[in-house]
Amino acid sequence: MTAAERDRVDPATTAASEPDEVVGGDGDPASTDDGTSPAATDREDGGDAARDSPTERRALRAFDTGRWVGVTGVALTLVGIGIALRQPGTVLVGAAAVGYGLYARLGEADEAELAVEREVSDRTPDPGDAVTVTVRARNVGDAPCLDLRLVDGVPPGLEVVAGPARVATALRSGASVTFSYAVRASRGDHEWGTIRAVVRNAAGSRERLTELETPTRLTCTPELAAGGELPLRGLTTVSHGRVPTDVGGSGVEFYATREYRRGDPLKRVDWNRRARTGELATLELREERAATVVLLVDAREPAYVAARPDADTAVEASVEAAGAVFTALLAGGDRVGIAAMSPRDCWLPPGAGTDHAVRGRETLATNPALAPTPSEDRFYRTLWRRRFRRRLPGDAQVLFFTPLVDDVPVDTARRLDAYGHLVTVLSPDPTASASRSTATPGRRLAAVERRERIRTLRGAGIRVVEWGDRSFAAAVAGANGRWSR
Amino acid sequence: MSANGSRGIEPGGERGPETSEGRGSGADEDRERDTRPPLLAVVASLVAATVATAAAVVAAPTGGAVVGASIVCLAAGSLLGSARVLSWGAAAGIGGIALAAEFGGGAEPLLVAGVALAVAWDVADHGLSIGRQVGREARTRRNVAVHAGTSLLVGTLSAVVVYGTYVVAAGGQPIAALALLCFGGVVLASAFR
Repeated sequence: MTAAERDRVDPATTAASEPDEVVGGDGDPASTDDGTSPAATDREDGGDAARDSPTERRALRAFDTGRWVGVTGVALTLVGIGIALRQPGTVLVGAAAVGYGLYARLGEADEAELAVEREVSDRTPDPGDAVTVTVRARNVGDAPCLDLRLVDGVPPGLEVVAGPARVATALRSGASVTFSYAVRASRGDHEWGTIRAVVRNAAGSRERLTELETPTRLTCTPELAAGGELPLRGLTTVSHGRVPTDVGGSGVEFYATREYRRGDPLKRVDWNRRARTGELATLELREERAATVVLLVDAREPAYVAARPDADTAVEASVEAAGAVFTALLAGGDRVGIAAMSPRDCWLPPGAGTDHAVRGRETLATNPALAPTPSEDRFYRTLWRRRFRRRLPGDAQVLFFTPLVDDVPVDTARRLDAYGHLVTVLSPDPTASASRSTATPGRRLAAVERRERIRTLRGAGIRVVEWGDRSFAAAVAGANGRWSR
Repeated sequence: MSANGSRGIEPGGERGPETSEGRGSGADEDRERDTRPPLLAVVASLVAATVATAAAVVAAPTGGAVVGASIVCLAAGSLLGSARVLSWGAAAGIGGIALAAEFGGGAEPLLVAGVALAVAWDVADHGLSIGRQVGREARTRRNVAVHAGTSLLVGTLSAVVVYGTYVVAAGGQPIAALALLCFGGVVLASAFR
């Protein structure tokens, strides 16, 4: 390692670096070239017995890369031509090329016997934080690795934002390589896959892939956004709460007057009327009751759509909105549950209280059914519907978060509504585009189809709120003004 | 608008882990990762090819010109990421060396040209595979340097042995000695097969 290179390395890795040594540094003229990755060091460390056991691994069979195929043939042809034409130069070049033919057959690509460690700077980051991941691999085998390429198994839900999660190096026995990169944390429970180590022999004619198991976990649980008041529909429980009902009783809002009955409280007697007509009448006020609400998030594979390749998916938007609604409803005294329309099972029964709030936050953040990437299992909607209906309390309303990209959610919402669970559909709009130029015919068709589905739902008496570019809270506020009870 | 799930490592293409850490797949892959060969490999390859050309020009200018075409091919192959173009470059180089020998080039510069050409092709092709598997931004310097060094070492050793044998053993009767040398080479090569 040159002095200039030492200056470039990450301070965190320099702090631990011991006498550096270049393996196989044979004074190649090009070795002074740039190393564009800022945080990578190769170093030798003195007998570190604790790390001497190789990481658990699974090696594939070595195979021919076919790089040097034909070199011996070319060599012998040159020799033959040289002999035929009596030119010593051609013969010598051909004979020297035989050396490369031998070199290509020399050695085998061994399994990568590496002790690998992975460190993340923060195991429980907030969403959007850059988390630095440092991977350190030490060659604990007896043989040197002359050509080693490492590719870290970054979890599918995390995006690498700085430096590739890869390195290519050469490690002699006992030497180690450290490389680091940064990922942007996103909601969910992320687990690193295997590190792939590709080893080639010196000539590069044989190659072998080894997968190294180094599990690392990163959990990112976002704070739930405080949500606005979402008007619920009339289906309520008998407990008091905030949802105005069509039931007369005690409350704050005028509902009706009725004839006085013995036992009615004096303060609810309509004294104005008594003064005007002499009759006793009792004011009925609109009762406000609590509701049981189940937040249903569409997390089937088709729902993982986004307006742009680098935008968040509709599932992500749905989960974020569900979080806001969850907090708001819980604060309003309603009982809230969470379910996912997904191949994987996700069910948090409706409940209330601080414990329930924490459970809800965890469910929304880390439940595998709501993961940032789709599950690979198959979704059986009939089975799912049957199970969901069995679980759904009879007096529960459903807030259904779905991008409405196919007809399954429409069908589901109409069925649930027909069974008496009043449904409100909240739909992030993945077809909304900022500029006209991106409006491809396909996108327009998808938008038209989606509009048609919304029309179908509204025609069936189901409320729909959609939000695209504007925020969820703004969309809800807009809908609030539009809806009568 | 497309299902945009696979943001992570995908089991890759032809050999080894051709992977992407980009979102999406296929076309998005290149946006996230520069799959061109590392600069060091390209530079080392072109330097070696230039040395080969210079040596071939010393031997015979006509052959040297043909070897010079290999520089263009190697540069183009690295630029396009095509191993096939690199092979054309190597073929042009070999043809040029044979031509230089035909025009009566000396053995010594031709040996130098041959070894330099082998190193040039080897490093360029190695750079391609590194670029595909690891990418240009990753740290690859040591890997490339070790590979180039080993390749140069093998070529030099081979040339020294061959040239030594030629000078010491074949002083008076070149063709007989060369035939023997050739026979030895064939035996050795087939022994390793």
